[in-house]
Amino acid sequence: MDRVLARGLVPAALVLFLAVLASLAFGAGEVGPARAFGALTTGTDEDARFAVLQLRLPRTLVAVAVGLALGVAGAVLQAAARNPLAEPGLLGVSAGASFAVVVAIAAGASAATLGPWVAVLGAAAGCLLAIGAARLRGTGDDPVRLVLAGAALSGLLGAGTSVVLLLDQRTADEVRFWTVGSVAGRDLGTLAQVGPALAVGLLIALLVARPLSALSLGDATARGLGHRPARARVLAIVAVALLVGGAVAAAGPIAFVGLVVPFLARALVGPDLRRVLAVSLLLGPAVVLVADVASRLLVRPYEMPLGVVTALLGAPVLVAVVRSTRLPSL
Amino acid sequence: MTAHAARPATVTAPPGTWRLGRRRWSVLIDRRALVAATVLGGLLLLAVAVSLALGTARVELTSTLPAVVGVGEPRDVLLVQRLRLPRVAAGVAVGAALGIAGVLLQTLARNRLATPDTVGLNDGATAFAVASVVAVPTTLAPSAFALVGSATAAALALGLSGGAGRRGYRFLVVGLGVGAALGALTQLMLARAAIDDANRALPWTVGSLNSRAPLAVAILAVGVAVVLPLAVLLGRRLHLLRLADPVVLALGQRVSRIRLAAIGAAVTTAGLSVATAGPLGLVALLAPEIARKAAGPRNVPVVGAALAGALVVVLADLLGRTVAAPVELPVGIVTAVVGGPYLLWLLLTTRTRRIP
Repeated sequence: MDRVLARGLVPAALVLFLAVLASLAFGAGEVGPARAFGALTTGTDEDARFAVLQLRLPRTLVAVAVGLALGVAGAVLQAAARNPLAEPGLLGVSAGASFAVVVAIAAGASAATLGPWVAVLGAAAGCLLAIGAARLRGTGDDPVRLVLAGAALSGLLGAGTSVVLLLDQRTADEVRFWTVGSVAGRDLGTLAQVGPALAVGLLIALLVARPLSALSLGDATARGLGHRPARARVLAIVAVALLVGGAVAAAGPIAFVGLVVPFLARALVGPDLRRVLAVSLLLGPAVVLVADVASRLLVRPYEMPLGVVTALLGAPVLVAVVRSTRLPSL
Repeated sequence: MTAHAARPATVTAPPGTWRLGRRRWSVLIDRRALVAATVLGGLLLLAVAVSLALGTARVELTSTLPAVVGVGEPRDVLLVQRLRLPRVAAGVAVGAALGIAGVLLQTLARNRLATPDTVGLNDGATAFAVASVVAVPTTLAPSAFALVGSATAAALALGLSGGAGRRGYRFLVVGLGVGAALGALTQLMLARAAIDDANRALPWTVGSLNSRAPLAVAILAVGVAVVLPLAVLLGRRLHLLRLADPVVLALGQRVSRIRLAAIGAAVTTAGLSVATAGPLGLVALLAPEIARKAAGPRNVPVVGAALAGALVVVLADLLGRTVAAPVELPVGIVTAVVGGPYLLWLLLTTRTRRIP
């Protein structure tokens, strides 16, 4: 077995396992770790059983799916843009998905029945806009341009969302819980809705990993190795749109996960995209779960929005990436 | 080599400028910048007059400006002086402050997208203002705290990025990160606060002229009045920041000192404007663009940007009050929606020109 890969996979798997346990054991309510495990083993404590199996288990599964999608999307996007700062949240992909959903609801759709496809379309549009703005193809000397373009785009789409919410009270009521990212109160139905989009996106991401890692040698070399750079980029964008759109449809916009996860993965296993993807598959869910558990515990008995916790986690990583002596071009 | 000729007794002004004054005490005035400032000022005056005239009760356009100084029918004077003037004046001050902050930051970072919103100054000011509303409920506090907040954000961004020097991009991205973290803190405070406190703090998170405190407007006006002349004095040297650092040093200017002064001015204006009207999106981006289009590339158009910013805010507020009446759109949303398409166009068409 690949020793470098194992060096990343083992700690990631360990953290994920602990995070899943913590997510089942801790909550904002009264059921603590002891009661939770007691309920699972003996099954006499009905309240605790309900809290763990009906509330925390679905939520944990949704968090795992969302983390997986965002982590992989971040790794793929960074490889396609050859830019370590490319992140779905920073680039306006999530903002595009949110805007699309809000517009759809304002136009008469219902939040409960709205599938993930509107969000996927919005994510794709946001992706294309940011990339068009920054000329993804060969970002050359300026990795920051993409980020600034994305920040400006996010601000713009956010303002559009506020306008719709301001003018349409019904939409505002339906969407308010959702415009700040959170996995609280999601059930398995949510997962079933977005599952297909996430699965297809994940499949494409894994298939496109080889050509994408060849792209890090430059377009000419990749072509010489028999890959088609343009097609690889288009597929990468499709995968990112599916993954981010699905994640946003399930949990709302959650920033910085796509930045933190590949950053940690690269620190563990180096720059090879396939290894990074493999580690991200485990680290993404772990990061989102840790953030979710923190969001339940930090302001008990209330809960914090998950997006707030990931922003607090992610901002220092952003600073660290930029401070590293020079931005590594991927 | 022959020795250089002695300095000629009469100095001729460069083309396109006027030289006023005698001998050592003289100023160069850029003709195009002067024309641009005059035109922008005229437009601003017109926008203010229209803004004073329109509303649920109309005032004749010609009698608005006399009414400002108390001349005319008592009804008009009351309407204009008591009800509309404070709002319009606040708009002018906020817009001017944002224009100054925007043009300084853009020149400093050598990037047209560097504005108080993108580099986190607004988020810092908002976070601290909200904190003060939640914790220290006095009228003066939000202004002071917003100032401290934007200064903190700037200091964090500068400290963590190692200065806004040649690696200007570092400063921008670190600022983005600092802004995101401070924005998250704002959300956290709003989530934890009691509902009344949260409602009182909410205006600081959406840009609006509805709930401006008179004292904050006064403080902002003083701030703008102090910073504007300083920024104009800085303007000629700021121009040098577009060159590489060694060149500026060779010209005998202290780069770090110019930068510090510019950042101080930007922090002051951005923080005070947030304390007055909350974070107004895109004004700080639009105003310098308009000013540059009007005044040409020769100078850093500080005055033009201030006038253009005031114009944008006053017009946006007018639009927000009238377009969907009786619903009043917050001015921040109007500026975002009107400025947005322009921003997109800017993003999609600009190629490699990073230097403003």
